[in-house]
Amino acid sequence: MRNGLPGSIVIMAAGVAIVSVASLSIPVQGGQQPPAQQGGAGRGGPGRGGAPAPPAGPAKRLPGGKPDMTGYWAGGPGGLANIRAAITEVGGQPAPQDPASRIPYQPWAAAKAQQNSVNLYEEPELHCFLSGVPSQTYRQFGFQIVQTPDYMLAVNEFMGAVRHIPTDGRPHIPDSIKLFNGDSVGHWEGDTLVVETTNNNDRTWLDNFGNVHSDALVVIERWTPVDANNIQYEATLTDPKAYTAPFKIAGTYRRAQINDPAYEQMEFACVEGNQDIQHYTDVVGGTAKPGPSAAPPGSEAPVPAGGRGGRGGGPPRGGAPPGPPQ
Amino acid sequence: MRNPLIVLALIVAAFGAVLFMPPLTSAGQARGANAQGPAYTPPKTAFGHPDLQGIWQVLDHSAAYNIEPHTAIFGVPAGQGVIVDPPHGMIPYLPGAVAKRQENFRNRLSQDPLNKCYKPGVPRITYMHFPFQILQTPQFVTFVYEYIHNTRTVYLNRKTHLEGLDFWNGDSIGRWEGNTLVVDVADFNDQTWFDASGNYHSEALHVEERYTRSDPDTIMYEVSITDPKVFSRPWKMSMLLYRHKEKNFRILEYECHAYAEDAAKEQSR
Amino acid sequence: MKAKLAAPVLLLSLVVAAVPAVAHHAFAAEFDSTKPVLLKGKFTKMDWINPHSWVYFDVTYPDGKVVNWGAETPPPNGLYRNGWRKDTLKPGEEIEVQGFAAKDGAPRMWASRVTWVNAGGQQVFGLNQRRPE
Repeated sequence: MRNGLPGSIVIMAAGVAIVSVASLSIPVQGGQQPPAQQGGAGRGGPGRGGAPAPPAGPAKRLPGGKPDMTGYWAGGPGGLANIRAAITEVGGQPAPQDPASRIPYQPWAAAKAQQNSVNLYEEPELHCFLSGVPSQTYRQFGFQIVQTPDYMLAVNEFMGAVRHIPTDGRPHIPDSIKLFNGDSVGHWEGDTLVVETTNNNDRTWLDNFGNVHSDALVVIERWTPVDANNIQYEATLTDPKAYTAPFKIAGTYRRAQINDPAYEQMEFACVEGNQDIQHYTDVVGGTAKPGPSAAPPGSEAPVPAGGRGGRGGGPPRGGAPPGPPQ
Repeated sequence: MRNPLIVLALIVAAFGAVLFMPPLTSAGQARGANAQGPAYTPPKTAFGHPDLQGIWQVLDHSAAYNIEPHTAIFGVPAGQGVIVDPPHGMIPYLPGAVAKRQENFRNRLSQDPLNKCYKPGVPRITYMHFPFQILQTPQFVTFVYEYIHNTRTVYLNRKTHLEGLDFWNGDSIGRWEGNTLVVDVADFNDQTWFDASGNYHSEALHVEERYTRSDPDTIMYEVSITDPKVFSRPWKMSMLLYRHKEKNFRILEYECHAYAEDAAKEQSR
Repeated sequence: MKAKLAAPVLLLSLVVAAVPAVAHHAFAAEFDSTKPVLLKGKFTKMDWINPHSWVYFDVTYPDGKVVNWGAETPPPNGLYRNGWRKDTLKPGEEIEVQGFAAKDGAPRMWASRVTWVNAGGQQVFGLNQRRPE
């Protein structure tokens, strides 16, 4: 958490991020578009694809020669709003042009996803649940990889969520254990880390829309660092209970916070004071009842339109921003 | 007159005996956590730091219930306590601070933050009934706890604490002193307890942890607690962390709040 | 201490605001984009919590009644990286909050913008959450 970066770097990073925002599809929920949400992306915050990273050297290596993905990452296949935007193949064929039919749902699963899309109260993240694989990896605020020769840990700032990926060739845990983030085991094929995730429970969504999977889901990811700052990523989702065919999502994770070597993830205490959950109205499955605005007369005032997203932030008070680490 | 040489010999012998006695560690003699004998030199990571990596857990969980010496009660084993300083093993509360501890204890079933699935704070998170994993890079040491996927990153390159915010698990900065990882933790809120018996602190809490691998499969864990708003002096705990050696052992999930929601739904059926 | 800071800090919020617009869609579930409001009041306290933090302030209504309103902001990581600290706002300080009222009729709102006047009489802007154009 460091402030006072040179303005030019900040603008460049903002340019990357703003391009990223523009390329997202924004769902319309009941006719209301959510305002842009500020979040703790730090500088050069996460976004989908967007402007390419500056040229990078070859991928770093761990002792033993495998690519070292330690560091902060952002971007990826996108699809946080709706995974269908990130699907590249269905049943081994290129994904259909029409996004509406892209997820090869069995009928019960299609109905469930539709139900979820209006029943926002059921969103797992509202309840501080882990997001599941693969969407844990493309949630907001990016993630950090801590990698050793026989282990990979992925830590999200969002929820402080964690994925454990041993790469020591161990077997999966027993079938009867169901985990939010599943049981991942990885092995190397050349410079590609192939991660198989089983033992998933059925309580997570693939995105914010409400797309679903069952507890039969198996995800096979391929992580290929192509240089020091880019990982080519793809994930194939197979679920014989929920889908009629496997489908694949793909994208590139870009190294994040390159211009902020002092960047650190922050604690994310969610259960410890989550007030959102009790404010969801019954229209979306919550407990609050809709009612007329409590605002006093004369307080109606439209939010100014126009301008680039996010201008107007001002100087913080309370003294100078913290300086660089000692 | 005494032979001065004999006197001299006696003095040297006495001095030598003191020099060559096994060092009295601050862990004390009566209770378990005591690294006697020659110090163990752990292997190093590829980048030259003492290697603490692996999955660890305390064996003696009585501290999770009550860090002071205590008799058993139904469902709670007895324990000799883990406080080694002051030597009598009791927390040196300020006179005005004891009442809150008693109140916490009386109301612990509803008031223990863990019963609401909150973050445990430091050091409680270390001696809970759940394993944790240590991973190391040149820049930091990462602790990953099975309990609600808590993580702590101990930054080795930052020398000052963050300002203007507080955290459940505090802000951890660390350094190596020989083979010991010394972790300085500050920026706590006042919401966590030290155990399930209501031992508590204020937001002025400052913690220093010391992790020393005392043999291939054991870490000696020492914790100094300072909080001038609640305690009359600093105090110190000590306990042993044991390596999990079961084949394919791994950190699983304990998503407390999910299970609590499930239980609440079951009850309301 | 209220130090005036140079222009570069203005740019910080440019970056923080440009996060994927649909990070999670709490807005539609809780707030009404057809009910924009602009309220002034005296800051009382902040809850630095996730998934969203809250700024509370006392609003005096035309009839004299005082109601404590809550305004939902980004979570602590966003505020902190935008320069906010726990002591940034002091109880009793006048703030102005622009945003959208809650759907359930409670005195709560989504904060698009929080503004306050510092000791030098200078109007300074706080966080800024903008709708995508």
